[in-house]
Amino acid sequence: MSQNCNRNPVAIVTLFNYCQDHAGRSRYLTGFSTQGHHIRNAHVKFSTTLRRTGVAALAIASLAGFTGQAHAQVDVPLVESGSSLLYPLFNLWVAGYTADHPSADITTTSTGSGAGIAQSIKGLINIGASDAYLSDTVVKKNPTMLSIPLAISSQAINYNLPGITNLKLSGPILAGIYEGKITQWNDPAIAAANPGVNLPGHVIIPVHRLDGSGDTFIFTQYLSASDAGWGSTIKFGTAVSWPAVSGGIGANGNSGMVTAAAANPYSIAYIGVSFADQAAKAGLGAAELKNKAGNYVLPTEDTISEAASSVANSTPADERVSIVYSAGANAYPIVIYEYAIVNSSQKAPAVAEAIRTFLSWAITEGNDQSYLKQVHFLPLPATVQALSAAQINKIQ
Amino acid sequence: MTIRPFRLSVLTLSLFIPAALCAVVLFLVIYSGQAILFNGLHFITDINWNLGDLYDDPVTVNGISVPSGANYGIWVFIAGTLASSTIAILIAVPLSVGAAIFLAEAVSPKIRPILSLLVELIAVIPSVVFGLWGIAVLVPFISHYLSPTGNGYGLLAASIVLALMITPIIASTLLDALMQVPRENRESAFALGATHFEVVAKAMMPMVRTTLVGGIVLALGRALGETMAVLMVSGGGINILPDSLFSPISTIASFVVSQLDSAQADPTNMSVRALSEVALVLFVITLAVNAAAKLLASGALNVRNRK
Repeated sequence: MSQNCNRNPVAIVTLFNYCQDHAGRSRYLTGFSTQGHHIRNAHVKFSTTLRRTGVAALAIASLAGFTGQAHAQVDVPLVESGSSLLYPLFNLWVAGYTADHPSADITTTSTGSGAGIAQSIKGLINIGASDAYLSDTVVKKNPTMLSIPLAISSQAINYNLPGITNLKLSGPILAGIYEGKITQWNDPAIAAANPGVNLPGHVIIPVHRLDGSGDTFIFTQYLSASDAGWGSTIKFGTAVSWPAVSGGIGANGNSGMVTAAAANPYSIAYIGVSFADQAAKAGLGAAELKNKAGNYVLPTEDTISEAASSVANSTPADERVSIVYSAGANAYPIVIYEYAIVNSSQKAPAVAEAIRTFLSWAITEGNDQSYLKQVHFLPLPATVQALSAAQINKIQ
Repeated sequence: MTIRPFRLSVLTLSLFIPAALCAVVLFLVIYSGQAILFNGLHFITDINWNLGDLYDDPVTVNGISVPSGANYGIWVFIAGTLASSTIAILIAVPLSVGAAIFLAEAVSPKIRPILSLLVELIAVIPSVVFGLWGIAVLVPFISHYLSPTGNGYGLLAASIVLALMITPIIASTLLDALMQVPRENRESAFALGATHFEVVAKAMMPMVRTTLVGGIVLALGRALGETMAVLMVSGGGINILPDSLFSPISTIASFVVSQLDSAQADPTNMSVRALSEVALVLFVITLAVNAAAKLLASGALNVRNRK
């Protein structure tokens, strides 16, 4: 017994919680009443501190209220939420925008594209950020919701193959790997695309995203567009029903994809270009992908902008279009518009004006290389920028 | 009848806890109602999970609007949850029984509080820290030295991380019970000529068996519901049942987290309802585990109560 009472109070509190959670075992801990005494003493002290803190908080609050009145000219507060891929860019934008517009009050959060779309439709937030445009069904149900491209992003197919740096892959090969039909690196289909490369006879470990992701969306769009089998069965989405591949693994977030691919030799993964530096540092190679014209291209600034400009003229007025697997001799096949999901009929004209001003800034000054370069995004082509501007003007 | 302000206010406060529990359960049942109707019993026996094509027009099945191609089956995740928790318990029980006996019997009373505090400190480490350790140390280790395919993520990694998280729970409850064994029992056993091992194994352990079982069930409850650490190292298996220690798995809790964002983009809302039904299944499993704990601890199997 005596040893039991000497035990550290912190440990006793922990134990106390366990026993309260699962009543019925407390009778085995008969030293309880004395220990409870310590807890009660501690509580008296705690409440005194609490009261003092409360007074201090009140004082601070009243002070803040007083100074608040001095700055009467504050803009309507805006809330942006959604895509974790767009989040770093929005943070750069808000910092730059606030420097030009000191009265602006914009909060950014990273919750995921699905949450951004859902909350924007419900009117909980002003701007939803999404890697995917709204589906026809959603637009039919909510005709006032707009999908406005703000910038262009892309994705690399990375591989962990010791000694190989010049791998070429195509949509059908990738579909075969992720369906479990191509299981060895020296499969005839991969060998045919890579003449002269000494491919290892090792099992392929395909890595996919566990969480809902815009990267999964564009990767599966590329597979759907380039491989008829994938396009008719698994299709595309921010999370798809991955076929059962023995040994295939799921990773959480783009950083998780980099870690998983680096930790597992002979793996293959799709990783957003914002993480290109981390992927290269982890020793992962980027594959040359077969585009619609039949050429193998790497994701570079030139090939991505060629892809963007090749679809610029065919982008419809509501801008809900896939720009994956576009025509163009050197167009990189996995390219995507990053969207703001906004309701065109806002509750108050002042809110609508604040959203318009910010989004117009984002697609003009915000498309400057000084912002985009930091996250490896590319600016919108001029025609698409004009379409986005026209959509932004609809917000009332 | 007199009004008793103290009793009334405390009663009101105490009613909040059961009310919150009922509200959560009611919400889950009502919200997942349509999914339960749509899925039927296939929900827990099917191994194919597919949110369907969220970008195509929804179809109507039995008057319920669902995304085309949607099919919700969670047997893979139930299997993953039960397998990882069971293996974690198998690893954690010998470790924690050994640790508790060592602390109760082999350590001098001066150092004991320090060492037992260290054991209890492991219990308060946030689960994401275990997950990071799993990714940085455990997964590469399994990948290089154990796994035949070179894949470190999976059932074994998840089980080891879970085992580390629950060891202090079992160890600290058991240590406490061992300290409560009456000195007379211990000394009588020594006086009868028992060795130290026999004293622990035959005189002390039978007295604390109920506490040990209660601690294990308590730990199992934690293991079943653990989300973040498992999500980080489990490999996120989907549509495939684990066939070895190195197979990627998903547990129910981690699966709900990983699918929720995509489900929210579903215009029919059926995906979120199906995920609520998944959460309901997890709730039923943990409820069963806790009920078992209550039953065991209430003395149904208590050796000491036998006359």
